[in-house]
Amino acid sequence: MAIKKQDWRLSQRGLKDAARHRQKIKESIQKNIAEIISDASIITRKKGQIVKVPIRGLKTYHFIHKRESSGGTGTGQGEGEKGDVIGRQPTPDRRPGQPGEQPGVDFLETEIDIEELIEMMLKDLGLPNLKKKPFAETVIPKGWRFESIEKKGLIAHLDKKRTLKEAVKRTSAFLGELMRRTGETEESCRKALTIAKGDLLRAERILREGNLSEETQPFIPLFSEDLRYRTLERDIEYQSNAVVLAMMDVSGSMGTMKKYLARSFFFWLVEFLRQIYNHVQIRFIAHTTEAKLVDEYEFFHRGESGGTFCYSAYDLAIHLVETEYSPVRWNVYPFHFSDGEDFDPMKTVASTKRLMELGVCMLGYGEIQADPYNASRLMDAFENQLHLEKRHIGTGDFRVLFGTDQATPFLGAILKEKSHVYLALREFLRKEKGS
Amino acid sequence: MDPELKRLSQFDEEIQKIARQFRLDCFPQEFDVIPAQKMLEILAYRFPVNFSHWSFGRDYEREKTRYEYGFGVPYEVVLNSDPSRAYLMNTNPFPVQVMVMAHVYAHNDFMKNSFYFRPTRRDILPSASEAAIRFQKYEKRFGLEEVEHVVDSGIAIEVNIDPDFFIREESEEEQKERLSTPSARPEIPGAYDDLIARKKPDRPPSNHYDKKTPLEPERDVLLYIINHSPKPLREWEKDVLSVIRDQSRYFMPQRRTKIMNEGWATFWHMKIMDRLFKEGLLNAEEHGYYNLYNARVLATNPRMPNPYLVGLKMFEDIEDRWNTGKFGREWEECKDPKKREAWDLGLGQGREKIFEVRRRFSDRFFIEEFLTEKLVEDLDLYLYEGKQEHGEIRYVISDRDWRRIKNLLVSQLSTFGTPLILVEDGDYKGKRELYLKHAFEGIELDQEYREKTLERIFYLWDRPVHLESVVDGNGVVFSFDGTSHTSTKNP
Repeated sequence: MAIKKQDWRLSQRGLKDAARHRQKIKESIQKNIAEIISDASIITRKKGQIVKVPIRGLKTYHFIHKRESSGGTGTGQGEGEKGDVIGRQPTPDRRPGQPGEQPGVDFLETEIDIEELIEMMLKDLGLPNLKKKPFAETVIPKGWRFESIEKKGLIAHLDKKRTLKEAVKRTSAFLGELMRRTGETEESCRKALTIAKGDLLRAERILREGNLSEETQPFIPLFSEDLRYRTLERDIEYQSNAVVLAMMDVSGSMGTMKKYLARSFFFWLVEFLRQIYNHVQIRFIAHTTEAKLVDEYEFFHRGESGGTFCYSAYDLAIHLVETEYSPVRWNVYPFHFSDGEDFDPMKTVASTKRLMELGVCMLGYGEIQADPYNASRLMDAFENQLHLEKRHIGTGDFRVLFGTDQATPFLGAILKEKSHVYLALREFLRKEKGS
Repeated sequence: MDPELKRLSQFDEEIQKIARQFRLDCFPQEFDVIPAQKMLEILAYRFPVNFSHWSFGRDYEREKTRYEYGFGVPYEVVLNSDPSRAYLMNTNPFPVQVMVMAHVYAHNDFMKNSFYFRPTRRDILPSASEAAIRFQKYEKRFGLEEVEHVVDSGIAIEVNIDPDFFIREESEEEQKERLSTPSARPEIPGAYDDLIARKKPDRPPSNHYDKKTPLEPERDVLLYIINHSPKPLREWEKDVLSVIRDQSRYFMPQRRTKIMNEGWATFWHMKIMDRLFKEGLLNAEEHGYYNLYNARVLATNPRMPNPYLVGLKMFEDIEDRWNTGKFGREWEECKDPKKREAWDLGLGQGREKIFEVRRRFSDRFFIEEFLTEKLVEDLDLYLYEGKQEHGEIRYVISDRDWRRIKNLLVSQLSTFGTPLILVEDGDYKGKRELYLKHAFEGIELDQEYREKTLERIFYLWDRPVHLESVVDGNGVVFSFDGTSHTSTKNP
């Protein structure tokens, strides 16, 4: 027979090797994670949305001719005149280990969702998966509330409904007993019980002696053991809230790149806090010489000319903490980004101290030094006044500064390029883990 | 026996009968009806059972996605073996199965009769599954990553083998003998002789060939590395590389006859399907179904000519020309369009001609000989270029001139679309470094792929590797020493 239909025992080879390919992709992502997390296509998505990051499939290399995408010539087929566009694709954004795509047959795109990416980052950081940890909870007293029902208590706390219920329960039990012992009707028993004022033995005697007067109205007698009182207890609530107070200098000196770095950082910070807390809010404070509460769009798109008073932002943050985000109920994370230009750094330091005294979880300050010639540095003022410790991280020129005692939950980072966003986050998480 | 299988068998016999009437000459043909997953696996792994590698897994996943989204044209796999073996996917509608069977018989005929398929090993299937078992043992013993490294590197140069392996198979001793006696040196023609001028040294000193390695520029880079790597390669590594090389050699005839082979198969499946319809074996609905799928097979692609369509139209054109006598000097010199239109010498040699073409030609010579101005126009072929504009790459039609289109096709097909790389010196600088040369045919190498491939060659050679090529009209030598890439001008 030339045509066969065998029972094919399906091998798992294809699936197994496909899994190996995915694993290799993951390894390559892990190697380049610092670049990937600051990738624009991730950050500009809206919050709360499930984000997928396109990752190119790995290539098999051999010597090939220059491709059409880099100026080579190819042959194609179809209608069209000379000069007609027959296809387009985005310019490949070349980064180490993530070379540009090849058009046509060799192109493959895989997706990885943000949860998975975060998991990889955590693994890379040597941190346990935060999701496995119970949410960090805050205990908040809410006043008083009635908790349990007791047999003794103040008459003012008498629970009438429950008391009556107890009386009915007891009475019907007595009636049943009387009827069983005397063989009388329920109505006679009820009358007898009423005359005897609830005394079971007396009621039995009355029934046996036949002394039931016609006019007696049956009612349910209350005994002291029927009484029920409510008790009061302190009311406590368990909450798991965090708020990020995102502050940023929007004066002219903050260029697009600087805002981009700040934006990446805030995006990932919120994503991480969501892993720890049930409920995470973010408020945006934009400042020049004055600070304003703005929405997200304005925060990242507003640019104003003029000077810079960083303390204005910290003062507005203090106001928010005092009125809306009491550290008793909220885990407060104020984070400020600027390029270090501040007309009155000493006043800013003073406001910073006040904010820390209010009991924030961690106060972060990121100084973005994209230009080599920045006039005054706010970081220097922080370093001297708050007695911070400075540390170099990694092989590049990334530096962090942090408070050395409990009263100074301060973390400063100097960011110069995209990959520093990741390093800054990493330090932040290390501190969080340590605390 | 299930009724569909029974009906397929009836059609199989019918198709064989028709094929014989058409004078197709086939190996015995075997079909396996298989589930989709198995078909996708064969497509990715090239064989029903083959060794493991992540790149096959990647291709499997890609084929699976294409299949699940309904992108693919009807899947057909036929292996060059005796008896010929082909696969039918059990999810295909019946008329598509019939079309694939008809298509397969024509491939079968092509592979049995094409000059280029003669020397291939027809026992590749068992050897691939044996390799799968051996590789698995290597993985257990030496580690997955070790084996993966070797496979990665082998695959990187799997096409850098001698395409004319069947013409010239001589030992190094014979080669030395041949080269040392100039008078007796026979000129052996190769596929690239028109591209690379062979060096003719003026009577080298008698001991010249004692130390020289390779004796003359070597096209089989992979084989040279297997035999001469100073790493040195361990036996299992040589085995892995040899398996890759054997498989690549097995597919070489397919690579150099892609357009012809697919064109031939399409030409005949259309004829066979029409006959089945005329004989009333396929009803109108089934024939309509077939037409729909056949249109997909013949769809054009803006960035790559469709070999099924190009090959089909060329065979049809050749048949017509040799039937009507539209060839030769008289035809070439006739400029009167009316006369040309009505040209018919009534030769009736078309059938005979296409059978001869399928026996003797490869794609390169097929295109060079038979791609006419009219065909380029009818097939809507063009040249295009990529331009970076407004933050994106735009592919723009750059040329419709039939001669330039043909020239590019011929030059690409001369090396089957891949650049020709030769081993010049395996003892470069006397330090056993490897010196390779790109036989520049006018198209530069892709930088990213060039660098990554050099890194993979380095893994096998374990000493610095160099590659001579051309950038912007200047000779350049690219080097990789294990840590960094450098380039120097080649005067």
